[in-house]
Amino acid sequence: FFFSLRCKAEGGHAPSQRHVALLPPFPLRDFLCLRSQVPKMTTIYVFSNVVSGRGSVLNVKGDVEMDALVMDGKTLASGAVSAVRNIANPVQLARLVMDKTSHACLTAEGASKFARAVGIPEVSQESLITEYARMRWTKNLAPDANPVESQMGKMGTVGAVAVDREGNIACATSTGGMLNKMEGRVGDTPCIGSGGYADNQTGAVSTTGHGEAIMKVTLARLILFHMEQGQTVEAASDVGLAYMKSRVGGLGGVVTVDPQGGWGARFNSLQMAWAAAQDDRLHYGLYAGERFSESLQTP
Amino acid sequence: MSAVIVVHGGAWAIPDELAQASVDGVKSAACQGFSVLKGGGSALDAVEAAVRMMEDNTVFNAGHGATLNNNGDVELDAIIMDGKTLACGAVSSVKNIANPVSLARAVMDKTSHVMLTGSGANQFAESMGVETVPTDALVTEYERKEWEKHKTYVNGVMEDFNAQWAHDTVGAVALDCTGNVACATSTGGIRNKKIGRVGDSPVIGSGGYADNFSGAVSCTGHGESILKVTLARLIVSHIEQGKSVSDASQLSLQYMGERVHGAGGSIVVSPSGQWAATFTTERMAWAAAQQDELCGKNTSAT
Repeated sequence: FFFSLRCKAEGGHAPSQRHVALLPPFPLRDFLCLRSQVPKMTTIYVFSNVVSGRGSVLNVKGDVEMDALVMDGKTLASGAVSAVRNIANPVQLARLVMDKTSHACLTAEGASKFARAVGIPEVSQESLITEYARMRWTKNLAPDANPVESQMGKMGTVGAVAVDREGNIACATSTGGMLNKMEGRVGDTPCIGSGGYADNQTGAVSTTGHGEAIMKVTLARLILFHMEQGQTVEAASDVGLAYMKSRVGGLGGVVTVDPQGGWGARFNSLQMAWAAAQDDRLHYGLYAGERFSESLQTP
Repeated sequence: MSAVIVVHGGAWAIPDELAQASVDGVKSAACQGFSVLKGGGSALDAVEAAVRMMEDNTVFNAGHGATLNNNGDVELDAIIMDGKTLACGAVSSVKNIANPVSLARAVMDKTSHVMLTGSGANQFAESMGVETVPTDALVTEYERKEWEKHKTYVNGVMEDFNAQWAHDTVGAVALDCTGNVACATSTGGIRNKKIGRVGDSPVIGSGGYADNFSGAVSCTGHGESILKVTLARLIVSHIEQGKSVSDASQLSLQYMGERVHGAGGSIVVSPSGQWAATFTTERMAWAAAQQDELCGKNTSAT
């Protein structure tokens, strides 16, 4: 069993115990119910006890529009939502798209209408906006601001990949998108093959970084193509990221897993907060080359 | 160096009453795109011109003639991609415009983004001075009647598609005289789709993909299946592995059929001018123009 989680980091501080999820073994079907089982998080918003999706970056108008994707490597089924507003857990809605509809992606008002239809509570936009997000939005209204650069590695997408005891593989990715993006801008996150991909035969990837660059090279699918051709999770991830940088000038990071439980957390941005749980060990890091490790056994 | 354009008007069980008009439509679109190439125009301009023509043609499910969602509205998706730079533009669930492929082009050329959706896409259209077209002008009598007929059915997409009621997508791929490839795809989606349903068409790597190093692809068929296997990118990956455009297409469509039980079609062009039009549905209207040849077909799948 393996579970790898990648989250956005605040500032540039090394992750402390409070920033890292403790992840007891669990069956894959409970993957998205993790939220109630982990201690309160301040940075891993997909899994926090408070309203998730909270902390999302704001679009140019100061509104929150969220994207998410989930994919089942066994059947290749997937669910995605793009530019959805006023809900706490976009990844949960994406899962419902996959499980309760014959579609793979719902967008904007259609996604909200579906959320109402399946009883997902509407939350106020204010409850999703943090002071930090508002501060970054204000700064990026300046004409000479560079939202892509200022966001890299700091207020990014969250995602996870997992392999369970039966060998089933899955991925999930969720985001508020790019700082000060145009209204209705959709990045890589809800686009299958870009924000994530999962296939029991090959592995799973969840991506983060410069969304438009990730889309142009369909980064998740690209990394899995390399793995299909025999490359290891680390080599395939590095090759994919290097290609994205050289071909379209974009930086990013990925968490990757293969059916044997091989895993990698690779990035060419300055930082990416990540954590991985396998057997009885928890591994985590923030800056390039970091890999801390501790026991998962409760004392 | 020869220039090539291939277009498709959708892979599905095209009913006899639409067959001739579909074939005429793709042939005209191929000629239109080819005249752009012959005049030294870019692959991007050629695919946009070809797809615009099919969007304007009410026989196809794109722009004018688009299918209706479960609320009786038209929501349009489109993508365009430049094989030289991998630049891409896409719109999903955009309303009341005649040519989504051109709006997708504007997203690519005029913004730093790749994809815009919903009311954000419409606001962008307005800021670009794109004319608003009333829904009634986009919807044909034929579509309105078919939609009324099927409104009472509770059918999943797969049942609809396999029951041959679904309309489909248009697309084009081209290779120009400077060796650049491009693709474009445009659709109204699936009849009676849920509001906001996004299929494969505007999703990069699924509805289309273009890379000067390997080729350009536009896909059509069962959207959710195409997404599951990222069909366009899959075809490209086979070409990268050395397969012919024809083998790459067939292998990929076969895989989609076996792995996720979906049918569809693809058009592909390689940087060396090889091209293929392949489908696993009963029919697909397609046409290709290369140098002075013009061939078009509407026959059973092989």
